[in-house]
This record gives sequence, C-alpha cells and structure tokens, in this order.
Amino acid sequence: MHIELNHYLWLSAFMFTVGVIGVLVRRNAIVIFMCVELMLNAVNLSFVAFSHFLSDIQGQMMVFFVMTVAAAEAAVGLAIVISLFRNRQTVNIDEINLLKG
Amino acid sequence: MPNNLPEIIEQVKLSLGAFVPEISLSALFLLVITLDMVLNEKRVVIPMVSLVGFVITGFFTWQQLDMPNQEYFLRMHVVDPFAVFFKFLFLGAGALAVLITMDSEELGEKNVANIGEYYAVLIAMVLGMFLMASASDMLMMFLALELVSISSYILTGYLKHQIKSSEASLKYIIYGAVSSGLMVYGMSLIYGLTGQTNIYEIAKFISANEVDEVTLTLAALLVMGGFGYKIGAVPFHFWSPDVYEGAPTPVTAFLSVGSKAAGFAMLIRFFKVAIPAEPTGELAFDWVNFFALIALVSMLLGNFAAIWQSNVKRMLAYSSIAHAGYLLLGVLVADDLGTQAVMFYLAAYTVMTVGAFYVVILIANKIGSDDVNDYRGLGKRMPLTAAALTVFLVSLTGLPPTVGFIGKYMIFTALLGKGTVFLTLAIIGVLTSAVSLYYYFKIPLNMYLRESEDGAETPMESSAFANALAAFLMILTIGFGLFFTPLANFAKNSVIMLVMN
Amino acid sequence: MTLTLITFLPLIAALITLLIPKEQKQTIRLVSLLAAVGQVILAVVIWQNYNPSLAGVDDVSKFQFVERAAWFSVELGGYTVSADYLMGIDGLSVTMVILTAIVALVGVGASWTIEKSVKSYFVLYNLMSMSMMGCFLALDFFLFYIFWEVTLIPMYFLIGIWGGKNREYAAIKFFIYTLVGSVLMLLAIIALYASVIDPETGRNTFSMVAMANQQNFISGSALAPSEGNLLRALAFFALFLAFVIKVPMVPFHTWLPDAHVEAPTPISVVLAGVLLKLGGYGLLRINFPIFPEVFQQFAWWIALFGVISIVYGAFCAIAQTDFKKMVAYSSVSHMGFVLLGIAAVNSLGMSGAMLQMFSHGLLSPMMFLLVGVIYERAHTREMDKFGGLAKHMPVYAGFIMLAFMGNLGMPALSGFVAEAFVFLGAFAVEQTRLLSVIGTLGILLSAAYLLRAYKAMFTGERKPNAAYEVEGHHGEEHAHFHDWKGKVDLDGREIALLAPLAAIVIIIGVYPAPVLDLIMPSLNRVAEILSAAANVAMK
Repeated sequence: MHIELNHYLWLSAFMFTVGVIGVLVRRNAIVIFMCVELMLNAVNLSFVAFSHFLSDIQGQMMVFFVMTVAAAEAAVGLAIVISLFRNRQTVNIDEINLLKG
Repeated sequence: MPNNLPEIIEQVKLSLGAFVPEISLSALFLLVITLDMVLNEKRVVIPMVSLVGFVITGFFTWQQLDMPNQEYFLRMHVVDPFAVFFKFLFLGAGALAVLITMDSEELGEKNVANIGEYYAVLIAMVLGMFLMASASDMLMMFLALELVSISSYILTGYLKHQIKSSEASLKYIIYGAVSSGLMVYGMSLIYGLTGQTNIYEIAKFISANEVDEVTLTLAALLVMGGFGYKIGAVPFHFWSPDVYEGAPTPVTAFLSVGSKAAGFAMLIRFFKVAIPAEPTGELAFDWVNFFALIALVSMLLGNFAAIWQSNVKRMLAYSSIAHAGYLLLGVLVADDLGTQAVMFYLAAYTVMTVGAFYVVILIANKIGSDDVNDYRGLGKRMPLTAAALTVFLVSLTGLPPTVGFIGKYMIFTALLGKGTVFLTLAIIGVLTSAVSLYYYFKIPLNMYLRESEDGAETPMESSAFANALAAFLMILTIGFGLFFTPLANFAKNSVIMLVMN
Repeated sequence: MTLTLITFLPLIAALITLLIPKEQKQTIRLVSLLAAVGQVILAVVIWQNYNPSLAGVDDVSKFQFVERAAWFSVELGGYTVSADYLMGIDGLSVTMVILTAIVALVGVGASWTIEKSVKSYFVLYNLMSMSMMGCFLALDFFLFYIFWEVTLIPMYFLIGIWGGKNREYAAIKFFIYTLVGSVLMLLAIIALYASVIDPETGRNTFSMVAMANQQNFISGSALAPSEGNLLRALAFFALFLAFVIKVPMVPFHTWLPDAHVEAPTPISVVLAGVLLKLGGYGLLRINFPIFPEVFQQFAWWIALFGVISIVYGAFCAIAQTDFKKMVAYSSVSHMGFVLLGIAAVNSLGMSGAMLQMFSHGLLSPMMFLLVGVIYERAHTREMDKFGGLAKHMPVYAGFIMLAFMGNLGMPALSGFVAEAFVFLGAFAVEQTRLLSVIGTLGILLSAAYLLRAYKAMFTGERKPNAAYEVEGHHGEEHAHFHDWKGKVDLDGREIALLAPLAAIVIIIGVYPAPVLDLIMPSLNRVAEILSAAANVAMK
C-alpha cells in the first residue's frame, strides 16, 4: 500500500494527543517530560512528512532545530527535577504542591 | 531564497551589519560568563558590566532607527521601527532588572552562592527577546521564544534551596513545554498548508490560494496557544500565579514586563502580517473575535481572582493577566491606533510594574514577607517607599495623573467608534478597571490605614540608592502621566512595520 | 492668572507643607490657613469684577477670566488628540467658586484640632482643595476629568486614616462607587472628542463650551445629534450616572451615609459642602446642555427621582438615632431639590436648584460643624443621650436652631428662597406639577426629623444616662462633659467658623438678589438650549 501524507499526519496527530494526555494525567515528573518529548517528536514527524510531500527542504530544517530545543528543554527540566528531588525526595507532582492551585 | 552556498554566505555577511545589537548582547553574555569564572568579587562588578553592556547595545539599537526597513539573514530577521521600539523596551526592562536584583536580599549573598550565571542568563533572555521582536520566520519565532522561555525556567528556579522556587520552575517548564509543543504543531500545520515558513510568504500564499479554513483556524489556535502562554492570557495563564509567587521577585518583575512585551511584539507581527484579509475582505481566520473573547475572559478572570489573594506577588500575577486582557483589546483593533496604544501601554506598564515589584522587594527585605496583611503600618515606617508603591498602584488602576491612565485612555480611544462589539468591550474594560481599585488598594489600606500589630513605629527606610531608584520610577510614572507626548509620538512613529508588497 | 492662582494656591501650600518638619504643627496649619484665606480673597476679587450680563455656557467669548494655553497634542494612529488648559467662569460656576473658597477656609479652621499626622493631613487636604476648585473652573473636559479624579485619592486617605470606627469600609465604598461613575464618564469623553469641533480652530476639541453648541457636532460622527442616535442616549446615561452618584440621587446614594458619618468633621464639611455640588454642577454644565434632547425625553424621570430622593432621604433621616447620620440623610433629601429644580427646565426652577446648591453648601457645613462640636465634647452622637442642652449651651442651641430652620426652609433664610423657587419652577411646568406637590412633603418631613432632634437634645430635662453631668444647685447649674476640658458652650474658634456661614445664610434668605443676578443670565441660556431641543423634538 502506498503511504500517503494522510497517514503520516494521522500518526503525528495521534502521537501528539497521547503526549498531551500523558502530560495531563501522569504524576511522575520524569514521565511528564517523556510525554513532552513525545509531543515534540510528533511535530517533527509532521514537519518531515510535509517536507517530503511538498518537496521543500525547509521542513526538515525546522526538525533539526526542534530536536535541539527539545534536548535543551529536557536538560533544564531534569535539572529542575533534580533540584526538587534534593529538597523533597520525590518526583511525584501531586506531592509538590506548596503553591496554591 | 538563493540556493547556492556562495550567495547564502554573501547574504549572511551583509546581514551581520544589521545584527549589531544582538552581537553586542552575545558578546556581553560571553564576557559575563568569563568574568564569572575569573573574578572572586562578583557582586558589584558583573551587574555594572551588564549595565554598561546594555547601554552600548542601546546605542547600537538607536543607530538602527535610521536603517531602511528590510529583512535580513535569509528573510528570518527584520529591522524596522516596530522592532527597535521593543528593543529599547527590553533594554530598559533588563537594566531595571539588573538594578533591582542588586538590591534584593532574596538573591543576596546569604542565599545564593554564584550570582554571575544569573546575570548571564538574564542577558541571554534579553537577547532572546530581541530576536522575538524581530522574527519574521516561524522557525525564528520558535527559537527566540524557546530561548526566552528556557532562560526563564532557569531564573525562576534559581533559589535552589527554596522549594517554592523549584516548584514554580517545574510548573513553569511543564506548562511552557506543552504550550510550545502546541505552537510548533500549529506551525507545522501552517507549513503544510502553505509550504512556507516566512510570514510574508505565508500571507501571500493565503491571499492567493484557497486554503482549508478549518485547518487554518485550528493551526492559528494552536499557535495562539504558544503566544497566549507567553503573554499570560486566559486560558493559557495557569502558570502565572505560581511562577510569580515562587520565583525570586526580581525575576518575577522582569518576566511580567519583558516576556509579556516580547510576546505581544511577536503576536502583533504574526497576526497582522501572516493572516491577512482574503480577497473577499474577511480575515482568513477571524482572529479579531477570537482575541476579543480571550481579552474579555482575561480581564474578568484576572480582576476578579485578584480580589481573593493575600500574597502580593500572586495578586500582581492575576492583575497582570488582566492587563494582558487590556493589551489584547488594543491588539484586536488592528489599525495603527490600536498598535500604538499597545506599545505605549507596554512602555507605561514596564515602568509601573517594575516599580511596584521593586518596592515589594524592598519591603520583603525589611519584613521578610510578601503577605499583604504584614504590610500594616508601613506607611509610617517606610514613608517614601510606601508613597512610591501607592503611586505605582494608582497607575496600575489607571487613575490620573499617572501614565497608567494615559495608557488606558489610548486603548479605549482605539476601541471606540469601531462598532458595538468594541463598545461593549470598552465598557467592560472600564468597569473591570474600577473593580481593580479594590484589590490594588488593599495595599495602601494596610500600609496607611492600619497600625502595625506590634505597635512598632521605628523607621525602617531602605538605603538611599533604593529610595532614589524608587523615586525615579515614581517620577517617571507621574511625569509621563502629565507629559506623555514624547513617548506617544515615539510609539506612533514605531508602528511602521515592514510591509510586503 | 486669577483662576490659575485660585486653583493652585492650595497646591503651593501642599508643596510647602511637604518641606516643613512634621513636628511644627502650628506652622503647617498656618500655611494652609494662609492659602485658604488667599483663595477667599481671590474669590471676592472675582465676585467684584464679575460682569453678570455675560452668559457664557456655549460661547467662550462670553466667559470671564478666561485662561487658555495649549497643553498637549498627541498623534494617535491617524488622528490627533489635543487638549488645552482652558479655564473660565460664567454664571454656572461663579457661585460655586465662591462657595468652594468659603467652605475650604471653614474646613481648614475646623481641621485645627486634628492632632494625628498633621503634615500628611494638610498635604492631602490641600490637594483635594485644589482639585475641587479646578473642577469648577475647567472648561476643557480632559482637564475637568483629571481634576475630578484627583479629588478621589486624597478623600480616600482622609476618610480612611482620620475617620471613625468604620472608616476603612466607608473610604473604599466611596472610592469604588464614585470611580465606577467616573470610568463611564471617560468613555463618554472619548466619544465626545471624536464628535465635536471647536468653531475657532476647526479641529476636534475637548472644550465643554464647544460641546454645548449642537452645531459643533460633526455630522455623521458617533454622537451627532441625529434621529434615533442611540449612542447619544448611552453617552448621556454614562455621564448622568457619574454625576448623580455624586449628587447623590437615590438609589445611588448609599455611599453617602457611610462616608459622611465616618469622615472626620472637617472632611464631612467639605464633602457635603462642595463635593456633592460637583454632581449638580456637572449635570448643568455638561450633561444636559450637551445632550439636550435626551434630557428632554427623560426630564420627568429625573424629576421623579429627585422627588424620590427628597422623600426617601427624609424618611431615612426620621429613622436615625445618630445625629450625624440624620444630617447625612438630610443632605440626600436636600440634594433631591436640585434635581427637581433642574428637571423643570425653566430658569425659575434651575435658579432654585443653583440657589439650593449654594444654600445647602453653607447650611450643611454648619450642621456638620455643629455635630462635630457635640461629638468632640461627648464622644457620642446618639440623640437620646442628651436632653436639656439648651440651658447649658445656649449659643450652641441658637446656632443649631438657625441651621435647622434653614434646612427646613423657614422664610428669611436661604433655604426658603431656594426651595420656593424649585417648587415654583416645577409647578409651572405641567409634567412636573404633581411631582412638585409631592416634593413639598419633603419640607414637612424635614420639620419632623429636625424638630424632633432639637426637642430630644436641647429642650426638656436632661435624660438619664446622658453623656454629660450637671452639678450645682438649682439656678446655678453647671454642666460638664467627661473628658472635655474646654469650654462647654462654643468657644471662639467654633463661633468664628459658624458665624460667617450663618450670616450669609440670613443675608441671602432676606436679599437673594445678588446671587440671582450672578446666575440668571447663564441659567437663561441653559434653559434656552434645553428648550430649543424640546421644540425640535416636538416638531
């Protein structure tokens, strides 16, 4: 079967949605970051798909940068998690709730 | 865009000349990092170096006023008066942030060991804001936004030993990452629809071709998710109260002013340029009504939620959500008057908000608390500081003779005469302003109308420098309120954005 | 220069006061006293040099003491916003200016006994005094708005810091209430600017004088006087709300009892004497001439609410046991006459309204001063805690009788002339005839609560549990109050404050012609403008 643009887009949308739901539902901070990475990778897939079907290199260019930024964000995020862990011995976000809602 | 390497290199070399302020900021960044490694006695030298660096950058920015409006760097970066206005704003906010950090005990010697990196990240944040204001390509917008955001996460969590700070930072990064994820997803959809990432090209494509409206609307909404998060408008505001409360107060001040202004600069540029009117005269995506809705909800929620807060920083967070609403009112009036009103208001907002947060810092230095009930009796004990804070709060409410009043006046002027919907928004805007009086004045209420609980009456004034800075901001607030023509004219001349033909 | 001087003299006093060290209380008081005296002298100068035949209202050349300077001119988007520093006097404002100067001076005198934070008090008082005066003199709407708003903040602090037990609540209630009206006024100002051209310069203007002339409206603009222009009605109501909150008109009066009762005596004096008049002045100067046809449509309703204020205010006053609160409600009731008079749309009724503003502006401070006298001595204002005071405080009883009679509308006192004119004016017009008759009920009710108060406090025997003690034998009795070391009856300072007010009340009651001469030409002009709209509407 010939793989159309549609298929890529549906997959990307699915991955993105799973990522968003994951961020909302999961309680472990590290898993939340994983879900964020999932979201950003879904976007990457989308860009690459468009780039291929439009025959335009710009999409793939964006992917490079999105990946880099995702890595930087993850690094900073994990550093924050470490900092929290040192204070509270937990990475469960339910228990990290000193600030009111 | 040229395809062969020699031409690309030529273009980049030519563009460097237009990039001088940013280069100067990058050099400053490297310099500060080096000084941080080399020096021992950093607490005074590094801020001073940063300030000098900002002044030099300001000089280079001023030179950019004479340049022709043009795109550089392979059409990713724009130099026009609109960008220059915002760059001055960011430099001002950054300089004020440096000054108020120097006075803050939260980030003082007792609590924070290495302050050098703080200033470096601050400079990086200013650089990111510069890029946000000048971005003309979706990629650039994303990168600049992330530079500012990641720097903000770091600064928010800077007090490693305070749980509130780390918790605020965690919440910030989670919300921020999700919002930027939404934004790039929207950008990918726009890219898919139009095949372009440059906003002018996108506009050209949309005006010329049939584009699927539903997808475009969805994409624009997603992109708005990212922008909305940066400016702190409902429903993307959830991070605001926690981050404002948990972050060190100088960071809060800088975030509430600088990143809001940067968000607005990018938002105005994106929506005015990229989503044009279709040949039928209607907007391809009806962002005017969408913004109207967001503005409405922001004003209502921000003002009413602030009433219940007893933590001053949290209250100021909700109030800044409300101000994002007022600013959006100016944005949705898409003509020059609206944009000029927004720019003026942002400049006014910088002065009064930084002033208010600065006084909060000074008070926290003395009494160690940010709770409004602990502000009792401060009118007697810190007279100049309390007076300055009252002036800033009067300005935030929008009462004459302060600059906050003029800002609101301009926004409402932009709204009237454009139809019933706008009139309704204006009426709601003024009424919510009146409501805001109640929570803003809880502070002078405690400071002046109540006696301090232990009956202490000893004067607690801050240092002369602190008073001078607070007084300076207070004079600006009232001075610009009475003599606002220069600022208004500067805003007017800067509305000129690069327009493609 | 006269007008600028009379307005900003208190500001100069405030700035000087900032420099005086806060221990030197007497110096601070003297500086403010000098400024207030200066204002009165300038007011007399204005009065003497005022030419009553010039009507003003909608023609700048017919205003007097005009001062004009370009203030700012800003380009907003496509068009220019410019405001001028424009001040002038005509028949509508001249009596108010004189009143403000007198009441401000009386207020300074009444503030002499304030001991807490004297420096801050007088700085705030002078700021407020400046902006009150500026409101009456400003002819540029933007300038007017700035003065209007600047009265609020000092008032908040004056009530909130030096006030009574419930002062925090009263202060913020006052502030928010008035602010809601003011912000709506702001929208009206913006819309008016875009719709009106100054005949002299041909450009958009904030000049209230230009706005009073319907021909200066740009045809096709938002607020152009055209058929069925709903926006005009909206703008009218925005301005109306702003002003009637200040008057105050029922049902927007609820801030007043709290504010008046909690405020310290001098502030009640100024609040009742001058600030309430800003509402009536605003209606006459701004709201009605600029939107005459809307006014004509709703004139009967305005008269109705005026009468409701009269009667409802009076009934509330009857129900009070606190002397000060009774006086506050009596203020609500008396300001209802102003509304009734204006709504009659003839110069008889309107001159009655202006006279009532002037007369009430003298009587009300008198009443609040008198309340303050007894409160300082007895630390209570409950009327059933006295009884038989006339024997021991004869001068005080005399002044109270005078003030009460004035409020009642006893002939030979200013209240009578004012109320008579209002009723005559309202009766002459068919639509308000019935209302006018109902309004006379107000006089009856005033008699009820005022005479009852007098009886309870002054005549008869000293009540048990009264707030004062009597010693000595029959025929040689001697009263004294707990905690009060001074003279039992009025002392020199208090008499010096009350006597001039009483004198003017009597003089005007007997010979109102000077005041009427000052105001008639302008009121005639306003009546013309309003009636012209009625004729147009009826065609």
